[in-house]
Amino acid sequence: MTAPWILALMTVIFLALGYLGVPVAFSLMTGVFIGAAFTDVTFPAIVQKIFDGMDSEALLAIPFFLLVGELMSSANVVSRITNLSLALVGHIRGGLSQVVTVFSMFFSEMSGSTTADVAVISRALGGPMKREGYAPPFIAAIIASASTIAALVPPSITAVVYGAVGNVSIAGLFMAGVVPGFMIGFGLMIYSYFFGPTGMQRPRAPFRDVARAFKDASLSLMIPIILLGGIMTGWFTPTEAGVVAAIWILAVVIPALNRPHLKLLPYDFCLAGMIFSLPLITIGAANAFGWLLAYLRGAIMIAEWITKLAGNDPHVIMLLMVLLFTIIGDFIEPVPTIIIFMPLVNALTTAGDINPVHMGVVLIATLAFGLITPPYGLVLLMASKFVGVRFSQALRAALPIYVVFFGTIAFAIYFPKVVLWLPKQVIPESVGCFKNPSGAGYICP
Amino acid sequence: MPTRIAEKLLLQRQRHLKWRALDPLEMILMVLCGLLLLGFSATVTFDIVTREIGHPWLWLQEVTQTFFIYAIFVGASVATRRNDHLYLTAIAEALHGTPRLVAEIVIRLVVLGVACCLIYFGYINFLRGFTSFRMPSMTPIASLYAAIPIAGVLIALFTIEQLVNGCRNGFDHPEPREEAGATTPPIGSPPERRPQ
Repeated sequence: MTAPWILALMTVIFLALGYLGVPVAFSLMTGVFIGAAFTDVTFPAIVQKIFDGMDSEALLAIPFFLLVGELMSSANVVSRITNLSLALVGHIRGGLSQVVTVFSMFFSEMSGSTTADVAVISRALGGPMKREGYAPPFIAAIIASASTIAALVPPSITAVVYGAVGNVSIAGLFMAGVVPGFMIGFGLMIYSYFFGPTGMQRPRAPFRDVARAFKDASLSLMIPIILLGGIMTGWFTPTEAGVVAAIWILAVVIPALNRPHLKLLPYDFCLAGMIFSLPLITIGAANAFGWLLAYLRGAIMIAEWITKLAGNDPHVIMLLMVLLFTIIGDFIEPVPTIIIFMPLVNALTTAGDINPVHMGVVLIATLAFGLITPPYGLVLLMASKFVGVRFSQALRAALPIYVVFFGTIAFAIYFPKVVLWLPKQVIPESVGCFKNPSGAGYICP
Repeated sequence: MPTRIAEKLLLQRQRHLKWRALDPLEMILMVLCGLLLLGFSATVTFDIVTREIGHPWLWLQEVTQTFFIYAIFVGASVATRRNDHLYLTAIAEALHGTPRLVAEIVIRLVVLGVACCLIYFGYINFLRGFTSFRMPSMTPIASLYAAIPIAGVLIALFTIEQLVNGCRNGFDHPEPREEAGATTPPIGSPPERRPQ
């Protein structure tokens, strides 16, 4: 059997079993084992690749960020952040839709997980929005769209995986993700203002109420400061920043805000210890799948097609990659997509002489968009389930919101200087800058 | 309180697919997940502290790696019994009657096949691992590779449990409503204060 047929067989098996209901990790492994049976690759080598995919120090950040998310829910901070968001933007036209977006902008910087965000926001604001008369499909659409911000802003787990697998600076991806992340946030606010439901008219919160809401949420708002501050100053790696944030919640936030929960902390640890293994085992399986794809020259074949169409023009390469990742992201989750296609991404990043952090942010934004597109928009599926509305209805309500994502992705492609401005200022080495040998400052490519 | 935590750790969803005899194993594995997470959280913390005071303990990174790898495999094993793995979508769950039975059996057989591969080929890797060593302790890397066949055995055990019970009791059972999660007070209400 020729390489393209083996690749097609592997892909069909993975998708068929995955959509039947076999867990993603096991459907990937089945595809790889069956594909390897037609090559000279041994099965122990495949098992080794599964293991190698997980054995990465950078991936250690994932359990800590998930633990932070789990502990945040336990620390009773959701109502505080909701009140803060309400005090800040509750009076603006759109009402609770604005609150959803601002809440997500705050919470994303603590959880790093789109699925955690959608669960928390649906639970916190889905009911109140229904009671205020918002249409359930719109509620699901706005919650799902706002939750995708977590894929871009630090401590994005998607960025951690991208950095760890692609050997790209995770801190650089974190910093570069801030501009597109906030663009999506502000884009959603503008959309809600002009095109969304008016919502209930609320008076602007007096300064005293805003200050009180900030004070109530201050302990939890320290978490993004610890994460970003630690990474930006170079004190901590992203993994270590996750540990420090977890210690902050354990030692300060929970005792101060929800002391009775201290007795239940062992449960949080057990649950987080199990939950973090789920993306990790999938990463291992996807690593073996991606390795076999590269071994069979699949990545090179696709890269050749793309470079034949685009030449070495970085913008066209990125547009074609966005198109490819949009299609793939409609069927597969971001984490396996990143790992499987990383050899292709690396080949095209080199061919187009593109900054790896820039390419990473554009692709992560595309995969975030894939979370709200059919047929497998995981976050939109979850939001429609939580809100209690059919997926097709939520999808129709989400369609006009896609404009925000198209605008953000196009901006990220055509304005790399803006996207890379923050990492260049804060961690110049993360985007390939090096110290000027003849004096102060950095030289950037 | 420990009893309450133990009860919460044992998932009651899809009870008809579980043997009570394996409940203690699920609980032990969940506790192990927590201990391993606590373990590598502690070692990373000590790693930061010892590095900052200028006396880094290099072996801490090796311990961290061991806890981390075992936590992944133990977590993936227990997630099989709890049906907590990541799914693309479950078409099978939308089916009823014989098609549902066939689809569920196929799903379990696929998982069982992968588990057998992990046991056999993981064991081969484990044996080969005695010729490579981890720095700085010079422990054979087989100590890490052992996690693969162990996880394979546990996954196979839990899959067989579901296959047998599914064929006997049927897979298609109505689930009791899940316990509501942490409830959120109405928006605009003051956050809960710590008792003074």
